[in-house]
Amino acid sequence: MPKNNKIYWLEGVTEKEVKSLLSNENSKFSWLRRQRNRRILVLFMVTGLLITALGSYYPDLKQGLGLDGSAEVIWLTIAVLFLLFAVLVGYSLLRIAVRGIADAPTELLDERQVRIRDTSFRTAYMIAGYLLITLLLLNFMGPDLTFLGDSGNDGSFLLIATLFAYASLPSMVLAWREGDI
Amino acid sequence: MSRQPEEPIFNRIEELRIQKGLSRQQLADAVGVHYQTVGYLERGEYNPSLSLALKIAVELDATVGEIFSLNPFRKVKNHA
Repeated sequence: MPKNNKIYWLEGVTEKEVKSLLSNENSKFSWLRRQRNRRILVLFMVTGLLITALGSYYPDLKQGLGLDGSAEVIWLTIAVLFLLFAVLVGYSLLRIAVRGIADAPTELLDERQVRIRDTSFRTAYMIAGYLLITLLLLNFMGPDLTFLGDSGNDGSFLLIATLFAYASLPSMVLAWREGDI
Repeated sequence: MSRQPEEPIFNRIEELRIQKGLSRQQLADAVGVHYQTVGYLERGEYNPSLSLALKIAVELDATVGEIFSLNPFRKVKNHA
C-alpha cells in the first residue's frame, strides 16, 4: 500500500522529494555534490542574480546607451528571459547539490543536518543584512547615476532577483561551506 | 562540517564498527542518521548529542565511556 506523501506547506516541499534528495537515488548528480562544483554553481547563481537585478535598469541603460530600435528591445528581452530561465535551472541544481537540506523540515533531517541547516540560515541572514546596509549606503552616498536617465524602470527584475536570492541564499551558503554533503 | 568543534572529543566508532562488521550505512540506519553523519562522527568533525551517543553505544555493544573520550585513545595493533 503506497504511503501518503506528506506535504510541508511552510517549507514548500514534500516528504518524498526531501527523502529522494537526501538519499543516493540521484547518483547521476553526485558530480554536482563535489565542493568545487558546488562553488562554481554558487558563483554562477550570484552572477546570474546580479545580471538579473541589473535588468531592472535596462530601460535606463538603453536610453544611456542610445539604443532605441525595436530589434534591440526584443533581443535584450529574450536575453533577460533566458537569464531568468538559467537562474531557475541553477536554483534547482543548487537544491540537488545540497540535498535540499536548506529547505527540509527538521523531522526529516538528522541532528548534524539540522545544525548545518540552521547555521546556514544564520549566515545567510547576516549576509542579507550586510548587503542591505551596503545598498542603502550606496543609495545615499554612492555615485550619481542620474545620467542614465529615468525611462520607466519599475524594478521588477530587481524584485525577481531579490526573491531568488532570498530563496537560495541558505543553500548557497551550504554549498560553499560544507565539505561533504 | 568543515568547522572544528571547540573542544575535541575522540572516539573509537570506526574501530568498533569494523569489529562488529557493520558498514557506515548499516550503523547510520540503526541509529537513525544519514550515512555521511557517521563519517563526520568517525573523523571527529561532529560531536553527537548525548542521545545519539547512547544509541551508538547500544549498537556497538559498548559504553559511551568506551567509545568517547576527551583524551586520544591509544592505538591498538591488530595482529589478527
